[in-house]
Amino acid sequence: MAAALLAKTMDNGQGDARRRTSAIGPRQWAQFAELGWFGLSLPEERGGVGYGMAEEALLFREIGRHLAPGPFLACTLGARVALAGGADELATAILTGEITVGLAQARGAAFEVGDLVSGTFDLMDAVDVSHVVVVTRNGAALMAAEALGRPEQLPCIDPAVSLGRVHVEQAPAIVHASGATDRIFERGSVLAAAMLAGIGEATRDMASVFGKNREQFGKPIGVHQAVKHRCADMAMRAEAATSQVMFAALAIDEGRPDLEFQTAAAKVVAGDAGIGNAGLNIQIHGGMGYTFEHDAHLFLKRAHVLDRMLENKQQHMARLIDLPAAQ
Amino acid sequence: MDLQFSDDDVHFRDQVRTWLREHAPTEQRPHDRQALREYDLAWQRTQWEGGWAGISWPTEYAGRGASLTQQLIWYEEYGALGLPGIDASFVGLNHAGPTLMARASEEQKSIHLPPILRGDVVWCQGFSEPGAGSDLASLSTRAVVDGDELVISGQKIWTSFADVADWQELLVRSDPSAPKHKGITWVICDMHTPGIEVRPIETMDGDREFCEVFYDEVRIPMTNVVGRLNEGWGVAMSTLAFERGTAFTLSQVRLAKTVEDLIEAARWRTGPDGRRPAIADDELARRLATGRAEVAALRAMTYAGISRSAHQGSPGPEGSIIKLYYSELAQRIYRLAFEILGDDGLHFVSRWAPDGWSGHYLYSYSLSIAGGTSEIQRNIIGERVLGLPR
Repeated sequence: MAAALLAKTMDNGQGDARRRTSAIGPRQWAQFAELGWFGLSLPEERGGVGYGMAEEALLFREIGRHLAPGPFLACTLGARVALAGGADELATAILTGEITVGLAQARGAAFEVGDLVSGTFDLMDAVDVSHVVVVTRNGAALMAAEALGRPEQLPCIDPAVSLGRVHVEQAPAIVHASGATDRIFERGSVLAAAMLAGIGEATRDMASVFGKNREQFGKPIGVHQAVKHRCADMAMRAEAATSQVMFAALAIDEGRPDLEFQTAAAKVVAGDAGIGNAGLNIQIHGGMGYTFEHDAHLFLKRAHVLDRMLENKQQHMARLIDLPAAQ
Repeated sequence: MDLQFSDDDVHFRDQVRTWLREHAPTEQRPHDRQALREYDLAWQRTQWEGGWAGISWPTEYAGRGASLTQQLIWYEEYGALGLPGIDASFVGLNHAGPTLMARASEEQKSIHLPPILRGDVVWCQGFSEPGAGSDLASLSTRAVVDGDELVISGQKIWTSFADVADWQELLVRSDPSAPKHKGITWVICDMHTPGIEVRPIETMDGDREFCEVFYDEVRIPMTNVVGRLNEGWGVAMSTLAFERGTAFTLSQVRLAKTVEDLIEAARWRTGPDGRRPAIADDELARRLATGRAEVAALRAMTYAGISRSAHQGSPGPEGSIIKLYYSELAQRIYRLAFEILGDDGLHFVSRWAPDGWSGHYLYSYSLSIAGGTSEIQRNIIGERVLGLPR
């Protein structure tokens, strides 16, 4: 159902929904909130839907597949941070869609996230939001947007993502949660990986459909192994990504001791699938794939944004090699 | 997919672990072919006596009849202990046996199935020919009906364990005038029949597991035909579907163990700069981390595949995705192992010996060829999973 709703929203007949940060309006956002999308994995008695990470990952895979823009991840994590810190009213406002939350992530290692927040932060989807959630491996904090002052706005490679940067010293947080609390960083990483897996699947399907329909030399280009085998590789990477994302989501749900390992593995494998498949999809579409008009580049750009979201691939790999073996 | 094992499954895992620890062979697997046969059969017999033989075989054929989850547990524990596979029994347990269960007569089943489980016999596979590799259906080993016998002449190749086998699942061309998939027969061949000559082939890793098999007017009773005459292609396909099921878990668990062993080795082995340990080298560390991530994904795919099998009854063409991913991943990992060895990699150590990574590296070149090349797997994925035109 989420898939159908997202498809309807993103394919509004104007063809530019995937190119605008504002493609999802307040009414649409309220509808998503009403469906419980920002609290799928929160317990019912705290205003959530009472599902697990697995269901939440399935939703985010659809969000990625449809390139839906907007602060889905930040609102989901923000509600959780608010509840962890006892700011129940704030959590309710996020869960009902009354307010929206942008994402901030630390740049470099010199930052502090506690009652007070210091450091340089990259902001994503943090325009026209009332709050910002800072998410790092060492802890998370929910802040009023104005506590960040006036961030510098930068053009983002992805036209549907707004990017900003800000430096703050000792800015007050409303609530904060330590690194291990509620596994906020791991949840966010798995959800980012789920969106990457969705991109891996969407581009696999686009390339396959194109391979069936596009004819040259009197036959569909998909009969050629040069095309067919690339599509097969895309299927392989997408399958690996989706399987590992689901494994990591279940590992978090079940509190497995290797959940950090599984999360890092999901981010690494899904990053390869998202970026790798999106790149191959451009190649298979030839000249059309390189145009702004065609959607192929949008998947690549979103994949790069998501790959950098909540630590990039290199950072997850560095963590992965230091952890004990999987269970 | 569900990662939580039931109490029964947890209990089953304890049982498996305890039994394997107490009964698994501790001696090194021998090199001599005859001794190797006896070693493998003895280990199979031990499993039979312990009630573990045929973990995936249904109980009506005296197998263990374990659930898919329990098969997974068995292979996970087996692999985690680093135990040798029962390679000489592999074709019997995973190819010929399941095919016989699906397609053979009651008499054929009663003659052939129990000895496989008991570790009395070795089976081999006579499918590929010099002129029929990826295009298996173009095979040309001839079978002529002569009264109540088939008379067979021709050649098979890449037949593992033919030199020590008792029986062979053999595909022959019984009707040369029919379209190529329609004139093939699946027949049980007694490897001790006069007219059969077996010549071992030495492979690039120094092993002699493969053989060529020559047939010169070999007479096989018609009662050994499985399914009907000229309907062997369908019989053979039921074997290949089985090949990509849960038995694959063992390779996946072993690969995971290899990555962990490699990380351990990289902590004490000197790296490429000749001073610091290998793991301090950024490139090697990144490749090891990627190895961990991808082996984790391979397991996740195996679990997802098993859960799909449980719902759909068979693994389906998605099995080709796992096979392709495994082959390529294993090659990357053994290449990495070889590089972590540094100059020690030039010292050849057989893959059967402890730390036999140089042998494993050489062996890994076979992984994208055997059991359907990676190119064929990509065709299958492209055509049967994604629906691309042929």
